[in-house]
Amino acid sequence: MKRSTAVFLQGLIIENPLAIIMIGLCSALAVTTSVANGIGMSLAMTFVIVASEFIISAFRKLIPESVRIPIFIIIIAAFTTMVDLVMKAYFPDLSKAMGVFIPLIVVNCIIMGRVEAFASKEPVPHAILDALGMGLGYTWVLVGMSVVRELLGNGTILGIQVLPETYQPILFFVLPPGGFLVFALFISLNLFLKKKWLESPLGCPDPEGGK
Amino acid sequence: MIKSMFRLGIILSLFASGACVALAVVYNITGPVIKTQEERALNAALKDIFPESDGYSDITKELSSPDPKIQILNAYAMTKGGSLLGVAVKASGPSYSANAVLLSGIKVDGTIKQVRVLQISDTPGLGANAANPGYYVDKAKKITFTGQFEGKKITDPFKVKEDVQAITASTITSRSLTAIVKVSADAASTYISQKGGAK
Repeated sequence: MKRSTAVFLQGLIIENPLAIIMIGLCSALAVTTSVANGIGMSLAMTFVIVASEFIISAFRKLIPESVRIPIFIIIIAAFTTMVDLVMKAYFPDLSKAMGVFIPLIVVNCIIMGRVEAFASKEPVPHAILDALGMGLGYTWVLVGMSVVRELLGNGTILGIQVLPETYQPILFFVLPPGGFLVFALFISLNLFLKKKWLESPLGCPDPEGGK
Repeated sequence: MIKSMFRLGIILSLFASGACVALAVVYNITGPVIKTQEERALNAALKDIFPESDGYSDITKELSSPDPKIQILNAYAMTKGGSLLGVAVKASGPSYSANAVLLSGIKVDGTIKQVRVLQISDTPGLGANAANPGYYVDKAKKITFTGQFEGKKITDPFKVKEDVQAITASTITSRSLTAIVKVSADAASTYISQKGGAK
């Protein structure tokens, strides 16, 4: 398997930031009460991680080791603020619903972690693939969770009534404990997918490139 | 040592200024859009509370909250053809999980016109039902939590479970929101009695 594919799959499944590394959970559990929020948060997060990894990887030779963390934070914070401003201007309702969780992308461990562990050492194309993998890995878990939670907890998807009117919504799913339960189901789903990948005839996609 | 400090400082400031320039560009593009969005939202909210009004003036500075925990964010005197119809008060106060923001309309005759929940972050399905137009505290009459304030006299006691119906299993939310409405109404009535008395 080519290294670029391996890098991409790394974030998507093998080391899914939410389901395997289990970082950035606070905002993930908090916003998944509705599908619109889940999609909004994933898009914002994916944009910030791709843009940050791109810039940091492109400038990696100009960033001195001793001040790298402040520089990473400046770059991540700048992109997060841009997303926040654009959302406020063009999607005011969504921005209102997400509240403080958009500005909090700055301190999301997924971005800090990938920038420090990957983008600051790797060439631009791989950094972008890694960011896309991580961003989409985050997206599918987040959107999946929000679909389950909104459907069972409210009987709707994207605010549209899907289940019959007689359906009594199971409030538990939009409350925090339901979030944890649904999250646990997605952890097992991801592990199942990971196991399938590892046992597939293609062989184990080794992100280290067969070292 | 000193030399490397300068070098690092300069590099850091270069990155910071780059980020600042990029942010300034985005801010200049989105700033005016955000402002018109906010104005449109405010106009729509005020129009929603006092549909018959044709103008308003900002009187935020003339109102003060009698309760230190509840803040009056904005207040507008709603007028029609120059005469005062009532006061719209946007106030924020602590609720179950975080601050809630309500917009209340108070008529010159001392009754509440309408109450709208602008922001609430309480438990979905429980406290957050305060903002749900399909949740009725009085199922028979189809009256929502905020709907029950319509036409209420501001001299009423505003006691939850006495003259105010609570949201099921959300007494704290119900109490906090009622307190915000009460404070808004009191502040507005002080203003109205000053202005209305002079007429």
